[in-house]
Amino acid sequence: MTATALSIRDLRFAYPGASWSLAVPRFEIAPGEQVLLVGGSGRGKSTLLQVVAGLRDATGAVEVAGYRIDELRGAARDEARGRSIGMIFQTFNLLHGFTALENVLAGLMFSAIAPKEHEARARGLLQTLGIPDPEAEVDRLSVGQQQRVAVARALAARPALVLADEPTASLDPENTATAMDLIQSACRADGAALLCTSHDPTLRARFARVESIDPFLAGGAA
Amino acid sequence: MSTRTLTDGQIVMRSLRARPLSTWITIGMVATSVALLLVLLGMRTAARGAFDRGSGNVHLLVSADPSPLVAVLNGIFYANAPSKPIAWAKFQQIRNGFPYQWAIPTQQGDSYRGFPTMATSTDFFSKFEPAAGEPWKLADGRFFERPFEIVLGAAAAKGSGLRMGQQVFLTHGSGASREGGEPDEHAGHVHVEFPFKVVGILEPTGSAHDRALFVDLESSWILHAYDRRERAGIEGKITAADLTEEDRKVTGILLRLPTRAGSDASAAMQQQFDTLRRDTAIVVAQPAQQIEKLFEIVSNVDGIFIGMAVVVLFSSAISTMLALYNSMAARTRQIAVLRVLGASRGRVFGLVLTESLMITMAGAAAGVALALFGGIAASAWLKASIGLVIDPSLDPRSTIIVLGGAVALGALAGILPAWRAYQVPVADNLRPAA
Repeated sequence: MTATALSIRDLRFAYPGASWSLAVPRFEIAPGEQVLLVGGSGRGKSTLLQVVAGLRDATGAVEVAGYRIDELRGAARDEARGRSIGMIFQTFNLLHGFTALENVLAGLMFSAIAPKEHEARARGLLQTLGIPDPEAEVDRLSVGQQQRVAVARALAARPALVLADEPTASLDPENTATAMDLIQSACRADGAALLCTSHDPTLRARFARVESIDPFLAGGAA
Repeated sequence: MSTRTLTDGQIVMRSLRARPLSTWITIGMVATSVALLLVLLGMRTAARGAFDRGSGNVHLLVSADPSPLVAVLNGIFYANAPSKPIAWAKFQQIRNGFPYQWAIPTQQGDSYRGFPTMATSTDFFSKFEPAAGEPWKLADGRFFERPFEIVLGAAAAKGSGLRMGQQVFLTHGSGASREGGEPDEHAGHVHVEFPFKVVGILEPTGSAHDRALFVDLESSWILHAYDRRERAGIEGKITAADLTEEDRKVTGILLRLPTRAGSDASAAMQQQFDTLRRDTAIVVAQPAQQIEKLFEIVSNVDGIFIGMAVVVLFSSAISTMLALYNSMAARTRQIAVLRVLGASRGRVFGLVLTESLMITMAGAAAGVALALFGGIAASAWLKASIGLVIDPSLDPRSTIIVLGGAVALGALAGILPAWRAYQVPVADNLRPAA
């Protein structure tokens, strides 16, 4: 096992013409650790997650489970992401027209897990997360069930790090608690570290470690 | 043990099923254009083969038709009964005017249930070959040996339902005979006084001769002499002894010139052709040359059809491209999700390209099936309407070229949409919809 699930050094990122930029001198998450990244809307939390996932280019070093995301390019970076990072979104971003099982299998398509284990792994996760009918199309599932499928997909490839981008932003307090219980317990059970962003202050109590985005904000690129 | 995985093929199929109307219309367009091309190319090859077969080992055809091409179409392919006869004396003059390998007289004009009759000599079966190197073969019975015996071509036997030993009454002209069902006032009269007996059925030759019935020349003369005498008010039986020069007429003469052993060509061909052409009472044709001429005439027309089919194929490729390109707008999120899960840009490019190829290949496969059925239908129509017997099977070379072209066009059509998928900005497409 690598020493850290996520390690960031001297990261700098700016949108062209934006009035703010990200500057992260040092940020680490230990394997299995769960971190809440808080800050107001539009403050760069999602952008930081995208940089960590290699979806945006930045300067500095980003290492996830031994993969130097910043140094990898093209297909190699995509492969590293598929093997080491799981992502959960506010709107789940499930593949519509596909079944719950197929959505989780999609999370395994680009993983290091042998194909012969895919179905067992996907069914096992869906069962653990309480999806009664894995063959149901995701469009026919309730919102709560869709979120469970999204969590199962994020964990399918046994990632070292799960990035959850405002996973409860559109939920009421009761469902927020249920969703966070699900995400945190699933990550814990699978041994994945969790970096969760939220502007909801009520989530702070759930995390042993809470970081604010504010110290990582600097002026515009210019 | 569980082995189920999600594959690129399943993603492509799901994507195609998500927009069924567009998918089926595009497949239909590809299928139509592929079928059209294959049928046109196949028919051209098959028709050429069928035309090449009919004239067999004949070097020259003499008739009194208006032109050499009409002579060949009537005399070899039974397009119509020749309108003007040649006197028996003229036949003898031609036959004796040069040491031909053989000279076979033919007379057309009668029919049975729409199947044309050819009256000829026994040399027609022993010396003439419907396809060079392929002599006549009997499926049943024997060739005619005496008057009022009839031999059926394979298609005529099948189409008329006649069996060995049955009696046949021929119809003057091309109308229906009395066995052919309802009498037709416009049809020629039936030679009811002279029954013919079916003594042989021929094997198929793949030529227009398959739909003909063959009788002895003398029988045919007797039928028409009887009619002549009846019109003149002369009653009673008629035999060959009653025939006059007026009755002894032919409508065509098949000629084969001397050749060297092992060769089908004759050194005397051009000279004899020119000699016969000087006789203004007849028309002389080299069947092979006339068939070539016929194909030159129709090549422009089928060139236009083939051009149109190619344009339809290009249109279907453009339709495929537009359908896929337009679908990209609705699929950017799906592509972004696949990218987040680890799919490379190259992989999503390949997925869209595969989608285009699958549409094209499905269309091409449907097109081949359509072409096979279309070919069978067209072949049946040609056989029924003009007696042209053609093989409806697809020409393998044309099929490979058309399929290869269609798949290549499908790949080209997929490039632009695939490029659009390749360029989808992942992070921007994962945000919640506004």
